[in-house]
Amino acid sequence: MNLSRPDNERTSKDAQYLQAATHDRIYPPGDLAIWVFILAELLVFAVFFSAYALTRANNAELFNTCQLTLDANAAFINTLALISSSYFVMRAVAAIREAKTQQCIQWLIAALAMGCVFLIIKSGEYVHHYQAGINLRTNLFYMFYLSLTFFHFMHVIMGMVILTAVTIKTRQGHYSAAEHTGVETGASYWHMVDIIWLILFPLVYIMR
Amino acid sequence: MRAATGTQIFYSIRPCTFVYLTLVVLSLVTWLTGQLGLSGLSISLIVLGLALIKGLLIGDYYMGLRGLTGVWRWAIIVWLVIPGALITWAFIKVQ
Repeated sequence: MNLSRPDNERTSKDAQYLQAATHDRIYPPGDLAIWVFILAELLVFAVFFSAYALTRANNAELFNTCQLTLDANAAFINTLALISSSYFVMRAVAAIREAKTQQCIQWLIAALAMGCVFLIIKSGEYVHHYQAGINLRTNLFYMFYLSLTFFHFMHVIMGMVILTAVTIKTRQGHYSAAEHTGVETGASYWHMVDIIWLILFPLVYIMR
Repeated sequence: MRAATGTQIFYSIRPCTFVYLTLVVLSLVTWLTGQLGLSGLSISLIVLGLALIKGLLIGDYYMGLRGLTGVWRWAIIVWLVIPGALITWAFIKVQ
């Protein structure tokens, strides 16, 4: 096997760890059980997204009109919050792989803080809709919008519970450079929450 | 002490930070599309394409699927392509 690398290949530590973690591996990082769970969750959201788009096809005017009542600015800030939290979780995984436990904890706390930002902003949106008298029965668009975003909202809460547990266990010294499956497992779930929002945001708030 | 050149700074940035910055820029473009009131099939499909690229970056670089061999390598890609295709078809149907 030729192990030589091109001169311009990046050799930063996280890239090395990423390569070491994935090179010639069949299974993704973390516990395989969480990946089965992730695929099941992704399948549910795929059905939701497809149902939204297909229903919209027969009610385009209603969907386009109602979409304008949504706060795309709040959704954009939430997108930045989730993207940032995913980045922080990625850095937490890189830190524990380098046996930097304290850094790992700090990155995880930063990710949790971004999760809190998301929950606060999204809750504000729900309060606004509630005050405007909007609910699941208002019309087809709001039925999909509220169902989809609240289902995702619950996943964010679940992800934050997992990340909190991972942070506590990291603090207690359960993870090391050699054994950190728990951190990778929590990270994988959190990235799933992020990836779902990255499709949900343009689909519900922007595309018309 | 010599100041770091632009090239040195470029190569000192971690790959995951590049991915993060790319995600931020693509999200900014998506948001601006909405702010400018752009709509229609082409715009929608471009925005959807950007979302799928972002999903691919998350799957490859953050979830660590890049470099895997076997079916797990394709897990996120297949998830992005199938709903992506259905959403595309539904939006084309409206036109």
